[in-house]
Amino acid sequence: MAKEQEGALSGYRVLDLADSKGAYCTKLFADLGADVIKIERPEGDRGRAMPPFVDDVPHPEKSLHFLHRNASKRGITLNLDTEEGRDIFKKLVKTADVLVDNSPPDYMGSLGLDYAALKEITPQLIMASITEFGHAGPYKDRKGSNLVDFAMSGVMITSGYPGKEPCLLPGSPAYDAASVHASIGILAALYMRGATGQGQYINASVHETSRMGLYPWIVPNYSYALNPDGPPPTSETRMGASVYPVYPCKDGLIRVIALTPRQWDALVRVLGSPEVLLTEEWRGFLYRIANADDLYALMLEFTEKYTMMELFEAGKREGVPIAPILNIEDFYISPHTKAREYFVAVEHPVAGKGDYPGPPYKWTETPAAIKRPAPCLGEHNEEIYCGELGFSKADLVALRAARVV
Amino acid sequence: MPPLEDIKVLSFGTGGVGPDACKILGELGADVIKIESKDNPDFMRTIGPDINNIAGFNEANRNKRSFGVSLRTEKGRELVGKLIKMADILVENFRGGVMKSLGFDYENVRKLNPEIIYVSSQGFGGGGPFSDFQAYGPMLSAASGMLSIWAQPDDPYPVGSNSPLPDHMASKHVVIAALAALDYRRRTGKGQFIDLAQTEVAASLVGEHYLEYTFNRRIPKPMGNRSPYAAPHGCYACKGADEWCAIAVFTDEEWHSFCDAIGNPAWTKDPKFADLLGRLQNVDELDSMIGEWTATLNAHEVMESLQAASVAAGVVQRATDTLADPQLEWLGAVIELDHPVAGKRLYPGVPFRLSGCPPLQSTPAPLLGQHTEEICRDLLGMSEDEIKQLIDEDILHNPESAKGAGGGMFG
Repeated sequence: MAKEQEGALSGYRVLDLADSKGAYCTKLFADLGADVIKIERPEGDRGRAMPPFVDDVPHPEKSLHFLHRNASKRGITLNLDTEEGRDIFKKLVKTADVLVDNSPPDYMGSLGLDYAALKEITPQLIMASITEFGHAGPYKDRKGSNLVDFAMSGVMITSGYPGKEPCLLPGSPAYDAASVHASIGILAALYMRGATGQGQYINASVHETSRMGLYPWIVPNYSYALNPDGPPPTSETRMGASVYPVYPCKDGLIRVIALTPRQWDALVRVLGSPEVLLTEEWRGFLYRIANADDLYALMLEFTEKYTMMELFEAGKREGVPIAPILNIEDFYISPHTKAREYFVAVEHPVAGKGDYPGPPYKWTETPAAIKRPAPCLGEHNEEIYCGELGFSKADLVALRAARVV
Repeated sequence: MPPLEDIKVLSFGTGGVGPDACKILGELGADVIKIESKDNPDFMRTIGPDINNIAGFNEANRNKRSFGVSLRTEKGRELVGKLIKMADILVENFRGGVMKSLGFDYENVRKLNPEIIYVSSQGFGGGGPFSDFQAYGPMLSAASGMLSIWAQPDDPYPVGSNSPLPDHMASKHVVIAALAALDYRRRTGKGQFIDLAQTEVAASLVGEHYLEYTFNRRIPKPMGNRSPYAAPHGCYACKGADEWCAIAVFTDEEWHSFCDAIGNPAWTKDPKFADLLGRLQNVDELDSMIGEWTATLNAHEVMESLQAASVAAGVVQRATDTLADPQLEWLGAVIELDHPVAGKRLYPGVPFRLSGCPPLQSTPAPLLGQHTEEICRDLLGMSEDEIKQLIDEDILHNPESAKGAGGGMFG
């Protein structure tokens, strides 16, 4: 924690009005060195109530969801429903390069804080709005949720055990799709601003980004399959078990990716070239999908002779990708994870000390790193309001009493 | 002017992550050159009978020019070295060790171009015992812990999805890294090397489950669609085969709206469903009662009647639903491109809007070697004779000489 080396985005300030929908977007910037100030309503971000909790004790500073997605940020409270709150917000905007917001359509406008108003104060401001379905359009006022948005993304129909209820991908896949696309838009705008000096407005919806970004191939697969001479369509149902089969082995499960005949041949060699697998038909990918249950019954006898790691290594040697199915602990203790120092110890004043997943990349010049634990509610009020904006401690007490901060 | 108008990107790699990342850099206006060899083509070119007519390849490789070159030849590598000198960004996702064997690892590339931004994205990432293992998206969900919790609690074993996730999230992280590094270079003049592990992207996306282990010493188990703080929360089977609608009810207020929307049948009055705690404690029974209602309607009817009451509900969509989705249509989310071999086909557009530049454009994926000759002429200053000779020697490829490459996974 707290590597004081410069990050790629050091020097930029990001105001973060987002809740769990956009939290990952601003976390990406914070881990890259930007000064991200999370602005919460005085009662706190709803993400603070999201389980699981440290020691299973519900507590606003102990939500593991919140702690992960808000690490590296500073935090203040501010009530934008008050006029004083909006005035303070405008002062903050003058110091900011980027503003990320995920309020419902028209909310910022109703406060007089939409992009049109803010760019008058700060022409170089880059503002990104993440909405559920879009800032306008027929679904503008619809209700979404991570589950509902993921359902509409096109991934969910393919997700889960064959024949059963489609299954949610853990985490916040739909929201995170919106977050990464908003991040891309913001970074492109920052780069452009280097040449033009001007900010701009970015809008992204969870609906469109998750539909188009998480599994873009569904649309062209469908479109190409309309051609009578085209390739066979990819079936839009739950085929994980037949396309990328999972087999038990001595100490767990493996997943096999044998698509080409060459990969299948390599898999057969990995398993000791048993005669029953040498039949010519099994070399065909589509044949294996069509007869997945029979194949599964045949394969067990051979895969169960080996450990996950034996098969992982043998797959590499023979030329067929085989992956161990690691659980959360397995990944944490894996020698590869340790070698990359992916997990980093972070100490939080209330939640305590624990290992956090670090940024998923290593940078040679500007390290990406968790700079600090997620902020406690209002933790940096004094630092920012008194230290930067010139309020006295007495002002802060009055603003608190008036529920402005 | 698009944001990356003056930026040149070299795209080495295969499959989903590198190509998708460079597709996005191309959408942002960069001149992206895909370095491809006919003797070892992008894996996605080989999953059908014609290397130029694969839906997934032609989606992930839009907005690029194709430079067809044999990387097994010294002359071919020399020409690529010249392109490296002109590039701002290099993205690669070959198996670990491949770029080094070609002499194009960062240590060598920075000698040619000290300011280059080099983003390397392997399945497991560099610097550990698994660095040179081949990896595809579905392996990475397995090897990252993500797949172990991507299931219903009573599934025989987790299978995840037939989508290649986390590939398409890892690719966005590659773009984020490239753009942040580019902006840093703009301000400081310094390039750098970024080593992204796709397994770590997967783990970051489910980070709270890792904290559950590191803080609470508990190995998380799959929860399926159930939520510890919402009920109903799941997909409910509707009329028709494999038709579903997802429904999420968090607050008691939403529950009352839900009950109104389904006509307040008697069972909804049962006090055990009156508050969230009761609904969570009786969730199996709750789900089965709701399933009886949804089974009588098609999925769109379920979504519409619940949305009319401000309850979060959405059809578990397929491609066809996407094309009929009024919001996506309003947004212009799906675009049509005319590809020289595949013809007019539909693709996802750029799913966000930038107010400060004209709408971002997309161009169809290149044929293998489609731009070799123009790149030789315009960027490398080569003569027609020299180009022709290198094509004849199979050191360079144009679409004609690349014919028959691939082989095909169905062969």
